[in-house]
Amino acid sequence: MDVPCSRARHPGLLARAASLAAVFLVLASHVSSAQAPATARDIVDHVDRLLRGESSVGRLVMEIETANWSRHLELEVWSRGRKHALIRVLSPRSEAGTATLMVEEQVWNYLPRADRTIKIPPSLMVGSWMGSHFTNDDLVKESQLIDDYDIEIAFEGDRDGVEVWEFELIPKPEVAVVWSRLEYQVRKGDMMPTWARYYDEDGAVARSLQFSDFEVMGGRLVPSVMQILPADKPEESTVVRYESIEFDIGLSTDFFSLRNLRTAP
Amino acid sequence: MPERTDPPGLSNGVLLRLAFRNVRKSARRSILTASAMTLGLALLILSRTLADGAHESWIDQGVRLGAGHVAVQGEGYQTSKSLDDLLSAADLDGAVEALGSPQFESRVSAYAPRLTAPGLASSTGSSVPVLLTGVDPAVEVEFSPLDDLLAEGRYLEPDDRLAAYVGEGLVRRLGLRIGSRFVVTAADADGQIQGQLLRVRGVFRTGVPDLDQSLVHLPLSTAQDWLGTRGGVTSLAILMWSSRTAAAARRELRDLLPSRGVEVLTWTETAPELEAAVKIDDLGDWVFHGITLAIVALAILNAVLMSVLHRRREFGVLRALGLTANETGRVVIAEGVMLSVISGLLGIALGLGVVFGFWSDGLDMSFLMDQELEISGSLIDPVMVPAFRIAQIGWSLLFILFIGISASLYPARQAARIDVAEAMKFER
Amino acid sequence: MTSGRIWGRIARRNVRRNRRRTAITVGALALGFVASTVMIGLSEGIVAQMIENGTDLLTGQIRVHGPGYEPERSLYSTLGGRAGVDLDQMLAAIGGVAGIEAVTPRVYAGGLVSSGEETAAGILMGVDPELESSVSRILSALEQGRLPRRREREVILGQVLADRLRAEEGSEIVLVAPAADGSMGNDVFRVVGVFRTGAAELDAAYVLLHIEVLQALVALDRGRVHELAASVDDVWSSTEVVDLLPAAISSLDVEVAAEPWTRFRPDLAEYAQLAASFNWIIVLIVFVMAVFGVANTMLMATWERRREFAVVRALGAPVTGIVRTVVSETMVLGVVAIALGVAVAAPIVFWWSQAPPDLSWIVGDFTMAGALVEANLRVEPSVKGPLLSATGLLITVFLAGLYPAVRSARQRPADTLAGAE
Repeated sequence: MDVPCSRARHPGLLARAASLAAVFLVLASHVSSAQAPATARDIVDHVDRLLRGESSVGRLVMEIETANWSRHLELEVWSRGRKHALIRVLSPRSEAGTATLMVEEQVWNYLPRADRTIKIPPSLMVGSWMGSHFTNDDLVKESQLIDDYDIEIAFEGDRDGVEVWEFELIPKPEVAVVWSRLEYQVRKGDMMPTWARYYDEDGAVARSLQFSDFEVMGGRLVPSVMQILPADKPEESTVVRYESIEFDIGLSTDFFSLRNLRTAP
Repeated sequence: MPERTDPPGLSNGVLLRLAFRNVRKSARRSILTASAMTLGLALLILSRTLADGAHESWIDQGVRLGAGHVAVQGEGYQTSKSLDDLLSAADLDGAVEALGSPQFESRVSAYAPRLTAPGLASSTGSSVPVLLTGVDPAVEVEFSPLDDLLAEGRYLEPDDRLAAYVGEGLVRRLGLRIGSRFVVTAADADGQIQGQLLRVRGVFRTGVPDLDQSLVHLPLSTAQDWLGTRGGVTSLAILMWSSRTAAAARRELRDLLPSRGVEVLTWTETAPELEAAVKIDDLGDWVFHGITLAIVALAILNAVLMSVLHRRREFGVLRALGLTANETGRVVIAEGVMLSVISGLLGIALGLGVVFGFWSDGLDMSFLMDQELEISGSLIDPVMVPAFRIAQIGWSLLFILFIGISASLYPARQAARIDVAEAMKFER
Repeated sequence: MTSGRIWGRIARRNVRRNRRRTAITVGALALGFVASTVMIGLSEGIVAQMIENGTDLLTGQIRVHGPGYEPERSLYSTLGGRAGVDLDQMLAAIGGVAGIEAVTPRVYAGGLVSSGEETAAGILMGVDPELESSVSRILSALEQGRLPRRREREVILGQVLADRLRAEEGSEIVLVAPAADGSMGNDVFRVVGVFRTGAAELDAAYVLLHIEVLQALVALDRGRVHELAASVDDVWSSTEVVDLLPAAISSLDVEVAAEPWTRFRPDLAEYAQLAASFNWIIVLIVFVMAVFGVANTMLMATWERRREFAVVRALGAPVTGIVRTVVSETMVLGVVAIALGVAVAAPIVFWWSQAPPDLSWIVGDFTMAGALVEANLRVEPSVKGPLLSATGLLITVFLAGLYPAVRSARQRPADTLAGAE
């Protein structure tokens, strides 16, 4: 008998979006040092490294619209490198203290009302994260973007008066992702990402990300708003807005522990 | 009156000839009675051979999808079903080697290593809980019925890496086609969540919705890498030619393999429900046989009694000529037994003839069923192929003799008690 | 010339004439009747058990969902959509339909169950303990402890699940399930009981709690339920009853999808039909064999009386008269056999239907077509068995008597009287 899983939201990813932003942020700072890395992959890789810094902490607001609910969450996000992240819910009060920890591709949730930490089993990995269009799985997968995909420049030129790159990412042969292809558009001028599209095997867009409201935060230019739009449900969306972010705060991997999952560090 | 010593009695041979002559004489009556016995036994043979065949088929089908007639597994796996209790690569090799020895050669039909784990299958649209089984395609085609239930595409092949063989139900729920990619997620041998990419290479249809939605076959080596089992498997399933040899094979294999870390189980332990189903069916069958034979016995009793009562004068004459009461009784019993034996053998021959003449390829019952039927998790093949067992014939002969003798006892007593003088009053 | 009554008297006298032979023949026929009746009863017993276990245990004979609930069984697909329904009105409306015995609401959610040491995936099922027992037997499968109380965070677990979690009566467990408002429902509960149905899929995955408590956990209003399950008075009338439902709830303006068990468990219905068709075969076999026994007897009897028939014929009785007398004799035998058979079969059927002998010491219980079958000789009393058997018996007896009757009627009186054998 099936364990009825809640309908998988189109896998979105909070930190993946952050990473993407990171990717292109670094591109921006890199351009200023007047060095042009050779291939598309190099660009993306370099950018990813630079943007993540060693570590970061940020506050964001997430607005979720689905057929079944509207949610407004305030979150605190800690990250280090590609394999460590800690997200804590600050608001609404009924859910404050709920937290998610990712370490090396394993995910734990802390649930304040039950005062219990659970390790996320396969059945919940693909379930929606806090009711958004992300899944726990996305949290894990975002860090592997560079490793998992072959990246090429598909288009370089003018779109609506703006000079852009459009990258095409094809998953490497044995990588465990459901997408058949990803596409990104980046503004050449300030290296800001504008959109990302996730394709299924029939060539249809399964979901897309939109970046906007570019601001300087924590000393870097970032897209402060990201929207995740599932393709088959136009009325639904998850919108993430950064309120503040700091980079290179000197976190070690020890910070990302089950103890810190339970109580605010 | 002084007791006179009995003269030496008639030999059994003479009695038998007497009995035989009597039977032959009242041919029509004999034939009519014989029909009951013949029919009864023919039915008995019919139903036993078909039932035995059907049971063997249930068991066969069940163990092919399940753990085989005999299963070699890691210690404790049967209860835990956890990747913590794997059959290690070394133990697997040991078992395979043991199976290669000549004592098993004639009895073992095939063996297949499997790595089974529950997980989640996801596509871009949705996700479904599934049961994943890593199989060795070369061996599995002989073992499992799934490859025969192919609806689209093809079964796995030895060189496949990412190929998956899935059911119609799963394909529908995930919105997949032949060649589509999907990702399966499960906890590996260390308890960590791991994902694995797979592509649909073939689609099967069993007709049982649960199976069509949740069974996934993938290549064993891929599964082992994915779940980090270091060459280990969850079970080595062994298929025997006949389910009856399973217990013996288990004992022998048990002796050849290390005592720690390895368990050898028969299908009665891995699929107890299957055994229960067979037993219940058998029980019903025996009840039916009992009734059949009771009726036949009564028919024979009736016939023999009739014949005795109709030959009162004849018996009287024989007694007057010197046949003792005891000998008279024995003649009657001999008649009854002869009647039973002849008609019984005819019945056996008729039964076997009909079964193997018409239905040696199997009696197709599917006209009675629209849907697939399953018992204890295994699909029922609507075709019943009869199985022949010497033991069956032995039992039947025993029954014949038993009936023949017991049905004749009462008439024999009647015959023995015929009063000679009274008997002469009758015409016959 | 001769009236029917005379034949009747002659017939009765003939029957009485050779008591022993009559007794044996009647005995054989009665045995056949008993055998056939009991076996049909057994077969029906198995089918009844299967249907009961397949439907009584959990699903009920009729289930009502919101449209689109199957097969994904999404948490959000409640009856009446997001607005839900007026539960009391729905229950009253459906409960009032002719043929429905009882209705009960259910809420389902998939989630995790965690004791201190282990975590397992489970199916959380919210039930109304008072209404549920009139529809399904799952609550009576409770082996230890008690049922959850209203408004208390109490659960009962399946035996296998409890073992896996190493939890028992009194243990604390945590339930985690994605809620209908997007949050992650979670709370601490106490195990107040453990149930064992014998069906592995239930015992290993189900967690039962009070419906309102589950609704609170997964953020559903009281009016939002996934399923209304109903039991019916007559299992075989389920389809007709389902057809009556739309009219009953039309005033409530709710769209529903209602199914009888024959639709959501077609394999059970299939098996029942298969078993029914075998009844005919049983009767056929039993009585074909009986024919031979009886035919033999009758041949004997008519042979003995050939002189008598010849005399009667010579006196002017018509051929049909002979036939009638012989056939009516056999019919009398048949009737007596039925009476005897009923007298023997009735107590057996009664005994095995009320207190079926338990065979589970020989075999365990098992599942067929997904339903639990218990290993006992349970007989389902019905009119069908005796009726079929009686019909079979009378036909047998008639045929068995007919041949000898016709034969003896065709003997030429002169030949017989002259001494020809």
